[in-house]
Amino acid sequence: MDELTRRAALKTGGATLGAAAFARALAPLTEWEENVSVDSFLQKHYKEMNKLEMSVVLARLETEALEEHGVAVSISDPRPTPGVSFAYALNLSVCIGCRKCAVACHEENNHDRATNNSYIRVLEMKKGGIDLEQGRTDYKHPVPDDDHFYMPVQCHQCDNAPCVKVCPVEATWKEADGIVVVDYNWCIGCRYCEAACPYHARRFNWQKPEIPAEEINPDQAYLSNRIRPQGVMEKCTFCLHRTRNGRMPACLEACPTGARVFGNLEDPNSEIRWVLENKRVFVLKEDVGTRPRFFYFFDE
Amino acid sequence: MSTLLVLLGCQAGFADPSREFGAPVLEGERFPTEVHTPTTLGVVDTPVTDVHGTPVGVACATCHGPDAATAWASRPGEPFHTGVELHHGPITCASCHDPDDRTKLRLADGTGLDLADAMTLCAQCHGPQFRDYTHGSHGGMAGYWDTRRGPRTRNHCVDCHAPHAPAYAPVVPAAPANDRTPLEDSHG
Amino acid sequence: MSSKPAHPIRSYPAFLWKAAGVATDGNAAFYAWMTALTAIFLVGVHAYAQQFAHGLAITAMSDHVSWGMYIGNFTFAVGLAAGAVMMVIPAYLYNDHEMHDVVIVGEILAISAIVVSLAFVNVDLGRLDHAWHLMPVVGRFNWPISMLTWDVVVLSGYLFLNLHVVGYLLYTRYRGAVPDPRWYVPFVFLSILWAVSIHTVTAFLYSGLGGRPFWNTAILAPRFIASAFVTGPAFIVLALQVVRRLTSFHVGDGPILTLLSVLRVTVLLNLFLVGSEVFTELYSGGSHTASARYLYFGLHGHHALVPWIWSAIAMNIAAAVIFLSASPKTQLWGIDVACVLSLCGIWIEKGLGLIVPGFVPSTLHELIEYLPNEIEWKVTLGIWALGLLVFTVGLKLAVTIFTGRMRAEEA
Repeated sequence: MDELTRRAALKTGGATLGAAAFARALAPLTEWEENVSVDSFLQKHYKEMNKLEMSVVLARLETEALEEHGVAVSISDPRPTPGVSFAYALNLSVCIGCRKCAVACHEENNHDRATNNSYIRVLEMKKGGIDLEQGRTDYKHPVPDDDHFYMPVQCHQCDNAPCVKVCPVEATWKEADGIVVVDYNWCIGCRYCEAACPYHARRFNWQKPEIPAEEINPDQAYLSNRIRPQGVMEKCTFCLHRTRNGRMPACLEACPTGARVFGNLEDPNSEIRWVLENKRVFVLKEDVGTRPRFFYFFDE
Repeated sequence: MSTLLVLLGCQAGFADPSREFGAPVLEGERFPTEVHTPTTLGVVDTPVTDVHGTPVGVACATCHGPDAATAWASRPGEPFHTGVELHHGPITCASCHDPDDRTKLRLADGTGLDLADAMTLCAQCHGPQFRDYTHGSHGGMAGYWDTRRGPRTRNHCVDCHAPHAPAYAPVVPAAPANDRTPLEDSHG
Repeated sequence: MSSKPAHPIRSYPAFLWKAAGVATDGNAAFYAWMTALTAIFLVGVHAYAQQFAHGLAITAMSDHVSWGMYIGNFTFAVGLAAGAVMMVIPAYLYNDHEMHDVVIVGEILAISAIVVSLAFVNVDLGRLDHAWHLMPVVGRFNWPISMLTWDVVVLSGYLFLNLHVVGYLLYTRYRGAVPDPRWYVPFVFLSILWAVSIHTVTAFLYSGLGGRPFWNTAILAPRFIASAFVTGPAFIVLALQVVRRLTSFHVGDGPILTLLSVLRVTVLLNLFLVGSEVFTELYSGGSHTASARYLYFGLHGHHALVPWIWSAIAMNIAAAVIFLSASPKTQLWGIDVACVLSLCGIWIEKGLGLIVPGFVPSTLHELIEYLPNEIEWKVTLGIWALGLLVFTVGLKLAVTIFTGRMRAEEA
């Protein structure tokens, strides 16, 4: 009996110590900065929300942005327009590799400042082939260099998108106008899409993005450039908050040489149609069968 | 003149007047597309610089009136034209400038042209570029892809290509992204 | 033995209470072992709490190498779980009675390894609070298109199958009843098929990605199965050695010899499949083989994984030589060494050696390297400590019940 009580006392002591150690081990959790209310935890999938529910969510997100970043932003939810199907083409003969598109993307899409993140990576490629192994993204010398050409790469908005296929929770999908979007409030952050993308087009929010209040672009949309939460995927959306309202993507406006052509595939008079019909265009990694909506071409 | 008007007027159907277009899918009134007017048009650099070290420009018309008296005053690089360096293929001043009227340009067929219509002059030699420009795949733009919803501005040739030395000058690129490269240090 | 079994429902709370007692009772060595595991687990919990608060930014992963230590260990752990079936097949398909007596060790390993693999997936998630979106019906389960949903289905299915079989057998023995084959044998047979499926689906996760040529190979699933059938038996051999030295539970030589004969085949099969892959990659050349060149020889001055993979190859070959040459009668310690070697070798080969080169070079052929940092090591060790805690408790319970030292009061 003495042995038994001694054991029980030991076990109780051990359990108490264990619980205390466990609580201590979990202490860093108090440093979590994400604003997870019951509403946001239970928020429905984008496609399951009706107009009213979406307006409530948008108002909540605007309030959160004001609280967390001190900026009054406007978050809208523009939808695809019937008869509009976007595509993009890039003239590799004209691109000089100045990265102005990447900078415009960085600013327009409220990317984290410290990482200088952008949805566009510009490859400096050896002339004489389209060999990615010969490409570099970290060049810093004046451009263009005579021995190289420059190839910006961003989301190709594939019609057969591997990222959409692999997502276990349908947090990413293709919209009617061809844009592949992410519901940042639905993504679980497994990064399977990032592994699946052949174009390095997806980015993960490894930490909470930080942007000075005065640099935040307040013109935001739910599916595009609103400030992303920590731990979710993000990607180029062809600036849908601009393009669904008829405007050019930010990267196109920033391009000093006019290498970028954007427009509506369903309009036979559009510039993009003219390029596809009159230039010899190609897509990157055609062999992986992704059917991109992003085309490259050289002038003759 | 005529080509530029066509260029501006045809944005609804996109530029090439010789090409027959079907009815556009999108109906409705369209906003205008304007070609940006470069401030450097009809201006040459002088040896005088401002506080930033930038050469002060002077309008051609300051010296050159419409009379022949102010005809060829000097060649590029010589006094009065020190700011002009001609690196533009095997052409001479008179290939573009009207020898009788310094305020005007001149097409190859002898037709006079206002400085504001310089793009037409460029187009007579640079046809493929002009064709691509009119179809939106050269030269850059801003504004609306959907001109039913808003206007658009286009760059002028001279915005990017100095008329006397049109090669695009090299630029220092913006910084690339700061990728997370945890092993960079250990590998030099 | 009591003449009449205890009531199947009313005696369950007492069973749980006694099980909790057994799990926390033992000699000094047991306490030391459990305390050490708990301490390591808590170190892992602490590291994970930091990661949860500050984001995965405090790991060494990046947009270039977006999966690393966690997913590598996940893959290895699934293999361990699947490999446990190498006890079940002889026990139930070939009616190996000696194996049948100890097959519960394999089933407990399966449970522990699945717990470990699920833990690794969860610590890799950016938004654990969104994990409920993965639940069928309430979430949006992208089944059957996404291979990850298949993995969720097969892993949880395998967990439940083994929990049921182990729980049923232990509880029935505890009650003093004879297990009714109708209540567990069908589940055992299902679990054999299921074991193959969990590792096949895990291989398909990677081999289905056309943009990652290093993984995009039909041989990946066979390789996974072959290596799983090395690690599973190797781990069980070690576990059986421990059980028979430290407990009164009878483990004959038979099961160990059977597992050794399995190992003698699978260890060679695994080397053969790896060799076939290496040949195809290195002989053909081209940019699609850049990952393999990076892994084995380094590329453009980057060679973080080279020492790891050659260590793995050396360990796997050494293990094969020992398995094939050592006499189990006189050199059982040699077999133990070979088991440890093959576990370490395949851990590298299927972890860092498989997941990381899939990302190096990146899809745009940028060379950004990866090796796990301190946080990832701590979380990883913490999860394995958790797995060993589950395994130890499971074994302790099984041994105590099977040796008749924990049983229901007579009805």
